[in-house]
Amino acid sequence: MGMLHNLADLLKIKKDKMTILVLGLNNSGKSTIVNHFKKSNEQSAIMVPTVGFEQQQFYSMGVTIKAIDMSGATRYRNLWETRFKTCQGIIYVIDSSDYMRFVVVKDELEALLQHPDLMNRNIPILFYGNKSDCEDALSSVKIAAALGLENIKEKPWHICSSNAVSGEGLEEGVQWLVQHIRYAMLNSHDGAKLKAHSKNK
Amino acid sequence: MATSGTTAPNWLNVDTEDEMPKLTTLSSCMALSDVQCDGYVRLLAADISLEDDEPSARLKVFRGLRLKQEQLLPGIPAAIESLYIDETEPKTPVIAVAIAESVLFFRHMKPYFKFTIPALEVDDLELEVWRQLPVMPTKRDALLDSLRNLEHAKLSRKSQKLLQLSEEERESFISTHADSPVGRHGNIVAMCCLKRVSSDANPPSHLVLATDTGDILILEPQGFNLVYQARTCAYETTPSLLSVQGTFETDFSILVGTRNGGVYLLRKSTNEGHGQEVFKISSPLTGLLMLPIDQTIVVTTMEHFYQCYSKRGKLLYQVQLNALPVCILSLTLSHFGITLLAIALQGGVVQFYLQRYLVDEFVVSSTVAAMLYGRMGMEDHVLTLVTQENQMFVKILRRLARFEPKSSALSLASKTAAGRKKNGDVSILDKPKKSSIFVEQAVREKQHAKATYGSFQVELWRLRHTAARATIDAINSSETSISGDLTHAPVKLAAEVCGTGPAFRLYLTVQNLSSFKMASNLVVLLHADRRHYTIQQSMARLPSVLPGVPLRVDFEVVAVLDPIDKLPPATLTLDNAQIRVMLLKSGQAKPLIAAAVSMPQSEAAF
Ligand SMILES: Nc1nc2c(ncn2[C@@H]2O[C@H](COP(=O)(O)OP(=O)(O)O)[C@@H](O)[C@H]2O)c(=O)[nH]1
Ligand SMILES: [Mg+2]
Repeated sequence: MGMLHNLADLLKIKKDKMTILVLGLNNSGKSTIVNHFKKSNEQSAIMVPTVGFEQQQFYSMGVTIKAIDMSGATRYRNLWETRFKTCQGIIYVIDSSDYMRFVVVKDELEALLQHPDLMNRNIPILFYGNKSDCEDALSSVKIAAALGLENIKEKPWHICSSNAVSGEGLEEGVQWLVQHIRYAMLNSHDGAKLKAHSKNK
Repeated sequence: MATSGTTAPNWLNVDTEDEMPKLTTLSSCMALSDVQCDGYVRLLAADISLEDDEPSARLKVFRGLRLKQEQLLPGIPAAIESLYIDETEPKTPVIAVAIAESVLFFRHMKPYFKFTIPALEVDDLELEVWRQLPVMPTKRDALLDSLRNLEHAKLSRKSQKLLQLSEEERESFISTHADSPVGRHGNIVAMCCLKRVSSDANPPSHLVLATDTGDILILEPQGFNLVYQARTCAYETTPSLLSVQGTFETDFSILVGTRNGGVYLLRKSTNEGHGQEVFKISSPLTGLLMLPIDQTIVVTTMEHFYQCYSKRGKLLYQVQLNALPVCILSLTLSHFGITLLAIALQGGVVQFYLQRYLVDEFVVSSTVAAMLYGRMGMEDHVLTLVTQENQMFVKILRRLARFEPKSSALSLASKTAAGRKKNGDVSILDKPKKSSIFVEQAVREKQHAKATYGSFQVELWRLRHTAARATIDAINSSETSISGDLTHAPVKLAAEVCGTGPAFRLYLTVQNLSSFKMASNLVVLLHADRRHYTIQQSMARLPSVLPGVPLRVDFEVVAVLDPIDKLPPATLTLDNAQIRVMLLKSGQAKPLIAAAVSMPQSEAAF
């Protein structure tokens, strides 16, 4: 049973109503994570590499997952920022063995949290401390401290270690995300409408 | 005065869990290399220890800020370079370390070859003296005198040593060294990479070596042959700084700064000859670079100047610095299309200039002695700084960084301009007649100003977006040199650029590849960034092109140069120095062929 299967099931939402963005610096493991999700859903994948910024998209059981590379390409910034408006959850992937770039991860995270399309929304953020199998990998506690995650007050967040190659830890994170997207949607105005919609059925 | 002020800094400071590593090194003794071939670029540096009585150096490899490997070097290096020597996959970098008269080559951090520069000629008289010295003890004083009469710097090390010894020591020195060769070697003082061909990612390179005797050599690092030999100038000088631009196969320039403040230019055609003096300044140079974009020469001097010269030695501009410049570095920010110059000043200030304008600066704890910039780890724009107190700092360019001139002169200029406007003649705008519709509309606009403006902007951007998308799609879909439209005769387009600039001639050859169809009603349209190139005639209607008979048309393209300093605009980079050529069929919106012609760099006109 795929992870996303229960995600869509639990939410009982209309198809293509939900988007999860997978963000992170280049080489953090986003593609590997997305591929893992794909495998577990045995769905034909749609890969959409667009000009300039790498984007992988796949659609399954009513959930669209989009991976966006926040690599140096500054000029495509506004392009990927347009996706913020329509997403319901964010997975932020961090290479926990690349300590040198934590400062960039932190800077990007701050920009993300302050983005007008995300700032006042109750969007759950899941952090994967990926590549936990690497020798230099930092624990998720240390990552949370280095990135100052305790300062995120207005959004639910969760961090867990993962190994995208073996799939270890991915499930735990997704379960958390599913729950919190559900809470968020039920609480919001949108959620109320959705509920009515599913009752009518 | 320029300060980093209230805005967020452009550089993110990397800190570590453990202590920052200590390092004693020079800019030339640092390199970035994917030594493990895993895509993670590591920092290599020679850590030079002068504390013990015998100076020594260790080659250190850092992953991020963590020291991962180190090994003792057999001497104090003058320079370290990481280069690729061939195209074989997987691409493995080679580390070249120049020590005294040799270059050591490492692969996977293991030494595998030592190249020694050719010995210099020895004076016949000196050889004769050494033949006689052991066998004619009586004539020794006369022989020593004749050695003294020769130019000291041109003597072999053996003879120099002999002259320094005291009377008693000479006897034994002569007997022990009687049969050893009378050889003389220069020392390598600087080394740079020179790409063999075009500038794709990690192209194979040659090494340019400068020796203290003034020889400039190019070493081909596969067979270890010297493929170019020249002298800095007609007489003997000692180079101290070296900067190289271009590619070996097409054309290149080697810039040499000497200890006396002279700057010499050597070109590909200078092989076997000697370089030309570009300019000479009275105070010693502390930094010398040739910038990749506009091929200008920047130097920093002991007299606190940062100066920019053309390749012909004309001073284009100079900036007075607040303190002694210690080292300089050029930073190409490809995503902005600009090249900045970083100047580290005595005291710990590091300033960033865009041409003559100060655009950024920061301060570190003490004077920066060495700088390195490039891709490190997985990040593209990383600046590594090593201070004279042996501290290492690593800074990453913020993705949201901005570089704008902060010169007080600029703001002053705009202020005076604004002042002039105020008391000048402000012409009164004609107002339209106030019909009732106009009044109502005016009221509506007043009440909903924000919304009106907003929706106008939205629509405007939407229109622009749609237009841009359509254009790009149309151009991209025909980005080839042969047209693929089946309803027409297939046509082929070839382009050639002649001239050295600023005026170029662009020759286009249109060929009809069909065997029977005629290609008619064709139009050629050129498009270039107006800030970079001026094209007098950007469109040409072509006569019908018959099968097999190529048609040649040419256009004049003039590179735009700043009228004051004769430099190309800062926004021009190697990537966007292009002219788009579109071959259209009249009455059809989608081009048959769209191609981009890269333009060569323009020589400045003086
Ligand atoms: N050891 C290890 N390697 C990983 C892990 N996740 C990803 N990688 C590797 O990291 C590299 C970059 O992964 P990729 O998914 O392409 O990163 P992206 O740029 O974020 O899409 C690949 O070589 C992956 O095999 C992990 O958890 N552990
Ligand atoms: Mg990827």
